[in-house]
Amino acid sequence: MPARRWIPYAFLAPALLGLVIFRFTPICLSLVGSFFGQSIRGDSIFVGVKNYAELLGDPAFWSAVTTTLIFNLIINPFQVVCALALAMLVRRPARFIDVFRASFLLPMTVSIALTSIIWSIMLDPTLGPVNGFLRWAGLPPQPFFRSADQALTTLILVATWKGAGYWMVFLLAGLLAIPKELDESASIDGANAWQRFFGVTLPLMKRPLAFVLVADTAANFLLFAPVYIVTNGGPNGATQLLMFEAYQAAFAFLNHGRSLAISTIILVIILVIALFELRLFRSEDETVA
Amino acid sequence: MRRRALAILRYVALVLIATVLLLPIYWLIMSSFRPAGDIFRYAGQFGLETLVPQRLTLENYQQIFAASFPRALFNSLFVCLATVALGVLVNSMAGFAFAVFDFPFKKALFVAVLLSFMMPFESIVIPLYTLMRTLRWTDTYAALILPEVAGGLIIFLFRQFFLGIPKEIYEAARIDGASWWRIYLQMTLPLSGPTIATASLMMFIHQWDAFFWPLVATSSADLAVVQVAIARNMTLEQANWGALFASASTAVIVAAIPFFILQRSYVRVVAVQADK
Repeated sequence: MPARRWIPYAFLAPALLGLVIFRFTPICLSLVGSFFGQSIRGDSIFVGVKNYAELLGDPAFWSAVTTTLIFNLIINPFQVVCALALAMLVRRPARFIDVFRASFLLPMTVSIALTSIIWSIMLDPTLGPVNGFLRWAGLPPQPFFRSADQALTTLILVATWKGAGYWMVFLLAGLLAIPKELDESASIDGANAWQRFFGVTLPLMKRPLAFVLVADTAANFLLFAPVYIVTNGGPNGATQLLMFEAYQAAFAFLNHGRSLAISTIILVIILVIALFELRLFRSEDETVA
Repeated sequence: MRRRALAILRYVALVLIATVLLLPIYWLIMSSFRPAGDIFRYAGQFGLETLVPQRLTLENYQQIFAASFPRALFNSLFVCLATVALGVLVNSMAGFAFAVFDFPFKKALFVAVLLSFMMPFESIVIPLYTLMRTLRWTDTYAALILPEVAGGLIIFLFRQFFLGIPKEIYEAARIDGASWWRIYLQMTLPLSGPTIATASLMMFIHQWDAFFWPLVATSSADLAVVQVAIARNMTLEQANWGALFASASTAVIVAAIPFFILQRSYVRVVAVQADK
């Protein structure tokens, strides 16, 4: 619409100001600060790429990178599949379906910090009711967060408990927008449920699925609270995610240069993922527009 | 016959999933009304007593409301409501600009907004802390509120909704001499009730959920938000289970209130957004 030249910018100004100060300035600071270290007297001194060189030669850093990538390669597809399964289950109207929809959503109101606390208690090897239940059912008790083998899987399941219902809404919305007739005519043509799902439903769900994958990745990529509250990166580094590594460098070891170098590397990884995702988004946008 | 079996199977799945999703919340809240000594008494030995309380008491709640918890609750609510109020205004204005006007650099600016939404907030927490410390803004309410106000996802949500409003109604108002600011305030916003509700719920839940940034940005106990206060209690005095359960239950219940009020319009608006 025509308007005087400065008007659109006036409407944008408060939001852009916020994004510049609180998003883009920290990114620049992170980059600059990662080239600085501290002298013995505590002054900031330029150290060039020393922080990066130290990181790249540090097996602990590489192990955190690997853990973060494995964690994300599993949790994001897993949450999307769970969310889609939930959405399919509550797609068709039925008695009490509103109650089920609302109850699937309820865990989204439990903060990630509280989710961590509740589940760490529920899954406690001696006190927790989950192991009480396993013993009652005649199954062997499990260590969950306390074992290096199970901690990361437990983390993924617990985060999915909170997240699946949240992402379900977006996919349910997509499913409800698919005209019923499409499914029915495929049914008349003799397609079974699987064929209808893969042939009719899934192709029409590309856009909501892309949106959820992007948003879900942003939400999970730097999971911090459960690691800080429950596992402390352990046992034996099994849940040492990059964000926690950066936090420890900054606040436990007071090594600001190192923590900003990790932050910068995190930002680069995220930027690469985001640019990749943006293409996904844009190509979809053009087909719709 | 087969149809009936499928319907039953579907209900079995629904009930099982709902149980897994709701039981921890039920157990938490139910246990918070138990005497502290009873909380774990029946957990290890599973049975009816694990899920049905024998004795009920309010003493856990009396304990936390006599201590510093009300302050944390106030902090969280104040920070959340301020973020929502500012966020609705700021992000809907930006969404309005992207939906209604054409202007130089529109595409580039919109990509920047999308990028900011794909960038997890956590990724800039540590450099943001450096910035705030330089500005001497740490340990203030502003440090908790302002960084969360402008958000790419919410701008996107408003833009998607505003795109659906026919532009003819704006043209008519322009001919009558209305300013764009008046059009935005008196025409666009009043049409956007459900979208505003959804954006508010998303921002409220997001800010209520915030843990990493409040943990880093504030160190004084007076500014601790609920999540941080509970986590600190959990690590510091692990023995006080009664207080932990009562404060965690309160936090869950408070966040569920706006959810139940706004839930219906939330599902509807998300439907519109994911559709476009």
